[in-house]
Amino acid sequence: MDIQYIGENLLPGKLGQFFVILSFCTAVLSTIAYFFATRAGLSKDPLINQESASWKRIARLAYSLNLFAVVGIGSCLYYIIYNHLFEYNYAWAHSSKILPVYYIISSFWEGQEGSFWLWMFWQAVLGFVVLRRGKTWENSVMTTIMLSQAFIASMLLGVEIFGFRVGSSPFILLRDAMQGPIFQRGDYLSLVTDGNGLNPLLQNYWMVIHPPTLFLGFASMIVPFAYAIGGLWEKRYSDWIKPAMPWTLFAVMILGTGIIMGSFWAYEALNFGGFWAWDPVENASIIPWLTLIAAVHVMIAYKNTGHSYFTATFLVLISFVLVLYASFLTRSGILGETSVHAFTDLGMFWQLVFYVLVFLFLAIIMLVVRWKELPITRKDEETYSREFWLFIGALVLSIACLQILATTSVPVFNAMFGTEIAPPPNVIQHYNKWQVPFAVVIAFVSAFSQFLKYKNTDAKKFFISISVSLIMSVFITAAAVYVMNVYSNVMYIILTFASVFSILANARILGEAFKGKWKLAGSAIAHIGFALLLVGALVAAATNKVISINNTGIGFGDEFDKNNNPRENIILYKDEPVKMDRYTVTYLGDSTEGVNTYYRINYRVIDEKSGKEKENFTLYPNAQQNAKMRQIIASPDTRHYLFHDVYTHVSSVPLKDEDHEEHEGHSDDENYEKPVTYEVNVGDTVRFREGYILVKGINRNAKVQNIPLGERDIAIGLQLEVNSEGKIFPSEPVYLLKDGSKFDFGKKVDEKGLKLRFTNVFPDKDKLELMVYQKPKAEKDWVVLKAIEFPYINLFWGGTIIMVIGFILSIFRRNKEIK
Amino acid sequence: MKKSSIAGIVIIALAIGIIISTYADSSTYGSFTDAKESETELHVVGQLNKQKELHYNPQQDANYFAFYMKDNQGKECKVVFNGSKPQDFERSEQIVLTGKMIGNEFHASKILMKCPSKYTKDEVEVTEVSASTAKI
Repeated sequence: MDIQYIGENLLPGKLGQFFVILSFCTAVLSTIAYFFATRAGLSKDPLINQESASWKRIARLAYSLNLFAVVGIGSCLYYIIYNHLFEYNYAWAHSSKILPVYYIISSFWEGQEGSFWLWMFWQAVLGFVVLRRGKTWENSVMTTIMLSQAFIASMLLGVEIFGFRVGSSPFILLRDAMQGPIFQRGDYLSLVTDGNGLNPLLQNYWMVIHPPTLFLGFASMIVPFAYAIGGLWEKRYSDWIKPAMPWTLFAVMILGTGIIMGSFWAYEALNFGGFWAWDPVENASIIPWLTLIAAVHVMIAYKNTGHSYFTATFLVLISFVLVLYASFLTRSGILGETSVHAFTDLGMFWQLVFYVLVFLFLAIIMLVVRWKELPITRKDEETYSREFWLFIGALVLSIACLQILATTSVPVFNAMFGTEIAPPPNVIQHYNKWQVPFAVVIAFVSAFSQFLKYKNTDAKKFFISISVSLIMSVFITAAAVYVMNVYSNVMYIILTFASVFSILANARILGEAFKGKWKLAGSAIAHIGFALLLVGALVAAATNKVISINNTGIGFGDEFDKNNNPRENIILYKDEPVKMDRYTVTYLGDSTEGVNTYYRINYRVIDEKSGKEKENFTLYPNAQQNAKMRQIIASPDTRHYLFHDVYTHVSSVPLKDEDHEEHEGHSDDENYEKPVTYEVNVGDTVRFREGYILVKGINRNAKVQNIPLGERDIAIGLQLEVNSEGKIFPSEPVYLLKDGSKFDFGKKVDEKGLKLRFTNVFPDKDKLELMVYQKPKAEKDWVVLKAIEFPYINLFWGGTIIMVIGFILSIFRRNKEIK
Repeated sequence: MKKSSIAGIVIIALAIGIIISTYADSSTYGSFTDAKESETELHVVGQLNKQKELHYNPQQDANYFAFYMKDNQGKECKVVFNGSKPQDFERSEQIVLTGKMIGNEFHASKILMKCPSKYTKDEVEVTEVSASTAKI
């Protein structure tokens, strides 16, 4: 039986699906056409050679259609999300009506399909540049790019072929994606009023800009790969390096920026308290970045001396394969139990494996087939030559990657061999044990190899020129480790020394650059940036300290205390200052804006001797409360200083009730604990949690507002004094007998959370009845907080920016060299 | 000998070192029974027992969180984590603990949990919390 669905707007989805299929078909067509254009171009037969041009025309046409289709998919999807067409699963799952426009953009790439689209889009744009500027390289390079384009397009297909589901379409309808009785109703859309919204953690401006940058980085890695394949295919073994050089630098620059943006987002918006966690997803993106950086160096070595051809080609090829491997790791769900932020399997596991394997085998087969013809030198490099150390630097980087790769791939080994190896219990220690020594070697090599010449260098001159920098570095390092407080660990001192040496050595090269050798500026600046980044990461990671150490708290038995675990969360009651490290920290209150509640946390530093206030700032860490699910999602706030950051997030807060207002059926008394009833007389005292109440006397002429007293009516006030913490609060609840009925008018002492009622008089016993209501203690607002001080973290961010500037300069230089 | 051959030998040596280190540092997945026997740090996978109370009272101690978990063999054990209660903990479908058994309590240094994504069933979010800040 067919159900007539009401109110669905099916056109954008149908159109979008059409574009998906069009993009796949045109990508395949373009690949084939470019393939034959290249083959025909290679032919010695002039007749076949002429065919190349017509193949190329077809290929270009197919490419243009592909670009059009890719833009079409994006437009349709954007239209669906922007107009809140919740009949589509993607819009329903990733957006909601209350999202501001710029977050609608991030919900676009929250899902796998959207992020594949982003990749496909960048790949198409990059293809356009190659098409316009590739000249003789266009045919072979575009063949590989369009092959990759076809693979990504297939990820969006969402069709079944021979019982095997290929891809996952972003245009699938909600009623097809989900099962539920409401879809039996034709008017189900009227019941689906809003989407699920964007994951709150992604509602951050960095999430608008980080994914496009990262995916541009990933996408641009295909270009050097395609050049390398093209070089092997067309037997233009040495030619490809020059035009591929700016592309390689571009990919390195963009991917590096994207990774650091992610790191900054994690630092600013997530509460894991750091900028790098060696999470598998982070590792997966940094591995190809490092291998491509290694590739850049050996490419330069080859260009200048003819050495390291194989290493250069291999590293360029493997870098892109590792990009694909990274996307397999993050998208196939294989990381499952080991990663914080991997996607789950959308049923594309084998499709992703296939994508990786095709490109891996393409690279291996090309290398094997051409092996004998490769321009590999049999000559050994001189020890005092730049090319030798460029090669060594590249090797060390590769081994560093191998180590990251080995541990990150543990879940893959488990899946392949059926083993059950768990990742190291202390992941960070495991990685740092290896990566710190590698960083030391790389920093050293990046310093002294700048003073080496290609081919051979006079050893004496070399040692003289580096000795000045070396000696200066010793002094600067000594000062630096003392100031930055990392002298307790030998490895830290060595790494600082290596980095300082690298900064000084490269600063000297930069000095030369200012004298006119402008060509040198790019690499010098990039290396200085990298060395600063290393020092910044080292110092911030090694000396960051939790300042919210909790010294109170009741023990939970000896077993628990024995561990002597750090107690890193501290509870702050409203308006009660707590001393935390050198700060006096006060929780001042909270305010709610939209879904976020901001907690005002004031930090003050008071000089102990003079009593003067040295620092005073307020941080606003926030938490999204969801009372229904009884959970919070916390985001930190950070005070940035030039030399350190103070980072704060709430770990736990009292959950707010959905509605705070009183409504029918609820009395005010519900806000209090069960009352205690006392029979008292003048002069008696009654204890409560924070003090005592003294019965001072009786006021026989009490008056009650708005109630006129008749002749027979009696109103008696009970004069009370609430004593607490040296303060006295007078209070006078009233007892009223009016027209023979009893009434009483309680009084509140809000400061102490008390309500006092004078409820009865027992003349026979000469006693008065007093009821004491007290608010439960928890009513007092509190937050549980964690605060960390990150020293010198700006070196890390600053180093990154300097490094990127260095890359930009290098791109300009290498781009000029093509012409 | 050629320098590149030396480099090659060094690489192979390092690669072997890396593989050994990866294996040596790695931990194992186990049950509470294994944890009790071995007394070393390991990973335990299981589910939160939602019938029993989760103990987190920040006013008493902001760094004590205790709960009951059933491992995959069905054995239940009290778990103690010294930190605040992870966000979203109640909704977790699966928990991976890193830690060791002390007495009859499992002391977790890290909790990694999988929650059903807020809304959809076919998507899963994973979050992780550590008891202490990591340092180099």
